[in-house]
Amino acid sequence: MRVRAPGECARERSERGQNRPVTSYSDRARTNRATALRSLRLLTVRDLKVRYSTSLLGYLWSILDPLIMSLIYWFIFTQLMSRSLGEAPYIVFLLCAMLPWVWFNGAIGDSFLRDVKLVRSVSLPRWVWVARIVCSKGIEFLLSLPVLAVFAIFSGAELNWMIVLYPLGIVLMAALVLGLGLLVAPLVVFFRDLERATKLVLRVLFYASPIIYGVGDLPAAAAPLAWANPLSGVFSLFRAGFFPDQLDWALVGVSAAITAAILALGVLVFQRSVGGVLKEL
Amino acid sequence: MPSEDTSIITAAGLGVRFRRNRGARRSFKDLFSGKRRRSRAGEFWALREVSFSVRAGEAIGVVGRNGQGKSTLLKLVAGVLLPDEGAVRVHGGVAPLIELTGGFAGDLTVRDNIHLTAGMHGLSRRQIAERFDSIVGFAEADDVLDTPFKHLSSGMKVRVAFAVVSQLDEPVLLVDEVLAVGDKAFRNKCYRRIDELLAEGKTLFLVSHNERDLRRFCSRGLYLDKGRLQFDGPIDEALARYNADHNEG
Repeated sequence: MRVRAPGECARERSERGQNRPVTSYSDRARTNRATALRSLRLLTVRDLKVRYSTSLLGYLWSILDPLIMSLIYWFIFTQLMSRSLGEAPYIVFLLCAMLPWVWFNGAIGDSFLRDVKLVRSVSLPRWVWVARIVCSKGIEFLLSLPVLAVFAIFSGAELNWMIVLYPLGIVLMAALVLGLGLLVAPLVVFFRDLERATKLVLRVLFYASPIIYGVGDLPAAAAPLAWANPLSGVFSLFRAGFFPDQLDWALVGVSAAITAAILALGVLVFQRSVGGVLKEL
Repeated sequence: MPSEDTSIITAAGLGVRFRRNRGARRSFKDLFSGKRRRSRAGEFWALREVSFSVRAGEAIGVVGRNGQGKSTLLKLVAGVLLPDEGAVRVHGGVAPLIELTGGFAGDLTVRDNIHLTAGMHGLSRRQIAERFDSIVGFAEADDVLDTPFKHLSSGMKVRVAFAVVSQLDEPVLLVDEVLAVGDKAFRNKCYRRIDELLAEGKTLFLVSHNERDLRRFCSRGLYLDKGRLQFDGPIDEALARYNADHNEG
């Protein structure tokens, strides 16, 4: 992670102006980074603790949402209608994309608005506030993977070697969520109604992404949609382990490029706006 | 320190601008335009051209009326607000007693909160373990260690928060009006703790409206008015200037 808050840069700049010895400068930067990473860990643990300590069924609640959604779509598309989307076993096909979607949805829908007082009282590199949500939702995602495993076993889905691409999907997803988070978090502070708009956009994006269907199911006219949406490449990586036909390296490449662009833009916007954000909180 | 310069805080030409009203629209264009061009109507300078430097071990009181930039100045030193102009350099960490209870999670127990807050301010796990008992002892919070933070009385919340932050090993202590809360016995305890910290050579930055507190702890005063640093000198003179300017009499 190379994102730096402008405040940090300003401090460093003025230090350089004072002709401080280079060693003390780099030591300082290193301890800063160590503090930031430790705080990131603490905040992530804190998020998870809050999440799981407030109710006995904490863990169950966090997996119930994607599970119910998947069961509903499974029921509609395989029991009510004859399925023409995706691949069999459809429930595994759904869960492969639904679980990461919950991560994406949870992290983007949540901004650092939630802990305004904390942001106002602790001086940390500001990207930590965004990264902690990416991390805590990401860990919740990892903890929900046993659900996928259980359904895969009971529905007899065939695992292939491409399951090794799963971690790549996780890395790409984390980068995408971080980039969008850095982009959205400050904007939500400036334009409060954006919070509602984000929720709407996310709902549209759910259907616009290959979750209940695969990229191959799209009619030719809608294909550009899949290429413009970085989630399609990410989900194809998540699915490759069970459904090798879903993997399209060109699509993954385009998605990775878009993700990199979003991350760069997010870093830029975040750096430029963080001073204003802190005043606004 | 290799350099002969012993200042621990240096502020040079500090300025912060706030929006006067929420209605003033902000556009996406702002994000990409240069800093120079971003001065717009409906904004005012909460603080401008404030420069000073503080030597290690000094105790500084900040005086001024409400809304003249005292808390803003403290936030800039704490690094929780970023200046629009100038820079502030703090050599070493800062223990901020600002928005004291803000960093605490209501759903977690006092024990968890102490660990988290101390960790976030840079203490290692071992250091926290070493200081845990004295933090709890100071706050007199033995009975509520496993109570969720949100169930504490407001006085107890502040006690716990003060206990944690005053145990940090940071060379600079920023105090913003927190001494006004808590009962008398605890307040005296806080005073003693601040005396101890000062005796250890820590640097104190105190914002208060209480002249007794200011005279008791501080030797030097910064008097802020209309966002400018009007006076920087002995605390008695700073208070005299302040009283002369704002004598309601």
